Amino acid sequence: MHYLSHDRLRQLLEKLTSSYSVFVPVEDGSGLQYVPYTSDLEHFDPGQVRAFEPLKLFFQRAREVVAQDYDTDLPGQDKKPVCVVGAKACDLKGFKVLDHALLKGEYEDPFYKRNRERNLIISCDCTTALDTCFCMAMGVKPFPEEAFDINLSPVEGGYLVEAGSKKGEALLEASSGILGEPDQDMMAERGRTRNQVAELVQANIEESGVPDRKSLEGAVRRMYDSEVWADEARTCVECGACNTICPTCHCFLLYDQKNEGKMERLRIWDSCLLKGFARVGGGDNPRPELWMRLRNRFEKKFDFFPEVANVYACTGCGRCITGCPAKIDIREVLGRLVSNG
Amino acid sequence: MGNTTNPYSMVRSRVLKVVKETPTIYTIRLKPDREVPFDPGQFIQLTVPGVGEAPFTPSSHYRKPETLDVTVARVGKVTDRIHQLSPGDEVGIRGPYGNNYPLEDFRDREVLVVGGGVGFAPMRAVMYGLFDIVSSLAKLLYRGGCRNPSELVYREEMSRWFDRDDLNIVLTVDEGDETWRGPTGVVTTILEDLSLDFESAVAIVCGPPIMMKFSTLKLLEMGFSDSNIFLSMEKNMSCAIGQCGHCRIGPYYCCTDGPVFRYSQIKQYPNIWD
Ligand SMILES: Cc1cc2nc3c(=O)[nH]c(=O)nc-3n(C[C@H](O)[C@H](O)[C@H](O)COP(=O)(O)OP(=O)(O)OC[C@H]3O[C@@H](n4cnc5c(N)ncnc54)[C@H](O)[C@@H]3O)c2cc1C
Ligand code: SF4
Repeated sequence: MHYLSHDRLRQLLEKLTSSYSVFVPVEDGSGLQYVPYTSDLEHFDPGQVRAFEPLKLFFQRAREVVAQDYDTDLPGQDKKPVCVVGAKACDLKGFKVLDHALLKGEYEDPFYKRNRERNLIISCDCTTALDTCFCMAMGVKPFPEEAFDINLSPVEGGYLVEAGSKKGEALLEASSGILGEPDQDMMAERGRTRNQVAELVQANIEESGVPDRKSLEGAVRRMYDSEVWADEARTCVECGACNTICPTCHCFLLYDQKNEGKMERLRIWDSCLLKGFARVGGGDNPRPELWMRLRNRFEKKFDFFPEVANVYACTGCGRCITGCPAKIDIREVLGRLVSNG
Repeated sequence: MGNTTNPYSMVRSRVLKVVKETPTIYTIRLKPDREVPFDPGQFIQLTVPGVGEAPFTPSSHYRKPETLDVTVARVGKVTDRIHQLSPGDEVGIRGPYGNNYPLEDFRDREVLVVGGGVGFAPMRAVMYGLFDIVSSLAKLLYRGGCRNPSELVYREEMSRWFDRDDLNIVLTVDEGDETWRGPTGVVTTILEDLSLDFESAVAIVCGPPIMMKFSTLKLLEMGFSDSNIFLSMEKNMSCAIGQCGHCRIGPYYCCTDGPVFRYSQIKQYPNIWD
C-alpha cells in the first residue's frame, strides 16, 4: 500500500500519456463521462460512482473494422493502448462475463484480447452511490477487489494506492519516487468511506426490494411462461439502450461495406431487444414479440451465464435503469420473478 | 501482429459454375485459393464482397476439398446476390465452423436420413459420407420431401441414387403434378411403414423447422431414442465463432456447439423449433 497525492496522480498520468491514451471521468451535468486526459484539464475525479458509459467500450469497441479484403492481419493495431482511470468495481466485474464470452470458447477474440493485455486499468473505490446502484445484491462490493492494475482509494489530499497485477506492480515500482507511505489515519479513512458507501447501497437494495443472488437461482426458467414479461414490456420502445449501456452485454453484428475500393468488415454492438436480432433468412423470427426479446435479455443474464460460466451477467451498476426511456427497472423485474408475479 | 489469426478474414474464392437447380435454388461451385476442408454437417460463411455474408453447409464431397459446392435458396439480401453470381466472380469463404455428424459412430447401425426442402443440400454431403462407409452400415435409408416436383434439387444425381441397391430411398412431394410418379404428402407420411430396429437406429434430420419438428415427433413415436436423432439447427448467425450471441439455444451456441445436435441435448429448452 502506498500514498499518492492529487498532484502526483496528475504527474503519473502525465507520464502515462506518452504510451497510453489516458481517459478520466469528468462530470458533465448528465453523469460522469470519460474524456481524454490533458494537462490543462481542470477538474476530474476518479472517485464518485461508475461513469455513464460502460467500461467495455475500451475493450470491445462499439464499432470497429475487423477485416479488410482478404488480409489476415488484424486492422487498427497501430493505435495506442488505453489507460482508463476511475473504473469502478461493478464494471470490473463485467470482465468475468466478457472474458468468458470472448476469450474462453473455442475461438478467442483477438481484438478484445489485445485490449485486455495492453490496456491499463487504474480503478477507484466508489465514494458515494447513485440511488440506482445495487452492486452488492449481485455480490459486488463498491470497491475493486480484482481485475485492476492499480486501485485508488480516495483519502484526504490524495489516494491510497495498491497494485492488482504484475503490470500495476511494475508501474508502481517505476513510480516509487512519487509515492509516499500511508498512515493509520488514511487506512481508517478508507475503511470509513467504504462502509459508508456500502450502507448507501444496502439501503437502496432494501428500498427497491431487489432479490439476492441466491433467490434468483432458476427464477427465469420457473417464470418462463409468466405474464410478467408482457407486462414489463408494455412500455418498452425497443431502443436497445439497456443492452448497449450494460457492462456485460457483448452481442455484436458483422456487416460489410466498400471503402475506397476495399472491402471492409465492421463489427458493431448489437442489441437482443431489436426485432431483427434472431430473425433468420426469409423472415422467420423465433422472438417476434417484444416481450419475448425482453425475456431473452433476462434469460441470457440470469439463466445462460449462470449455467455456462457460473456468473450472473448483471453487476448491479444500474445503468439500464437510468438509461431506459420506458423506466423499466431491472430490480423490479427481478423482484417480480422471485415473488411469482 | 501478423501471426495472430484473424477469425474474420476470408479465403478468396472464384465461382466456377452456377447450376440452376430450381427457380429459387442454385448450386454454386467455388474454387478457394486455399483449400477449406470440412466434415459433413459443418458449415462455412460465404461472403459476397461488400454485400455481406451468410452461413451455408457445403453440399459437395468432403473428400474433394479443391472445390466446394453450396446449394443456396434465395430468401433475402445476401442470397439474392449469390444468385446473381456468374463464373469468374470473386467471393470470400471463412470456416469451416461447427461440429459434424459423428458418422464413424454409425457403423453397424441402421441409418435413416430425412431431408426436406433446402435441407437436401447439407444432406447431400452427409450422404457422400455415408456412401463411403455404407458397407459397414446395417442399413441406409433416405426419405426426402419438398413442396412440389419443381422444387426438387439434384434431380439427375438423385435418380442415380434410386439405382443403388445399398440405399433404400423414397421421395415425396406435398403436391404432385403430371410428371410425378412417387408418393404425395408431407415427409412424415413416408416415415409411417419403416421396418427398423428403432431402439438402436440413428436418424439424421435436416430441413425447415416445421418439418424437423414433425419428423422428430414422428420418429419418437416410432420408438427412436431421443439421443439417436440428429438435428441440424438453423439460427441467425453472425460471427460463427461463438461470440456474437445471435444463435443461442438454451445454454448452447448453435454455431460452435452445433449446428448438429442430438434431440436429447436440446429438447428440454423452450421454443427450439421457432
Ligand atoms: C448452419 C447453417 C447452415 C445453412 N445452410 C444453408 C444451405 O446449405 N443452403 C441454404 O440455402 N441456406 C442455408 N442456411 C440458411 C441461410 O444461411 C439463410 O437463408 C441466409 O442467411 C439468408 O440470408 P439473406 O441475407 O439472403 O436473408 P435475409 O432474410 O435478407 O437476411 C437474413 C439475415 O439478415 C438479417 N436481417 C435481415 N433483415 C433485417 C432487418 N430488417 N433487421 C435486422 N436484421 C435483418 C437477419 O437478422 C439475418 O441475419 C443455413 C443456415 C445456417 C445457420
Ligand atoms: S432500454 Fe428500455 S425501452 Fe430501450 S430496449 Fe431496453 S427495455 Fe426497451
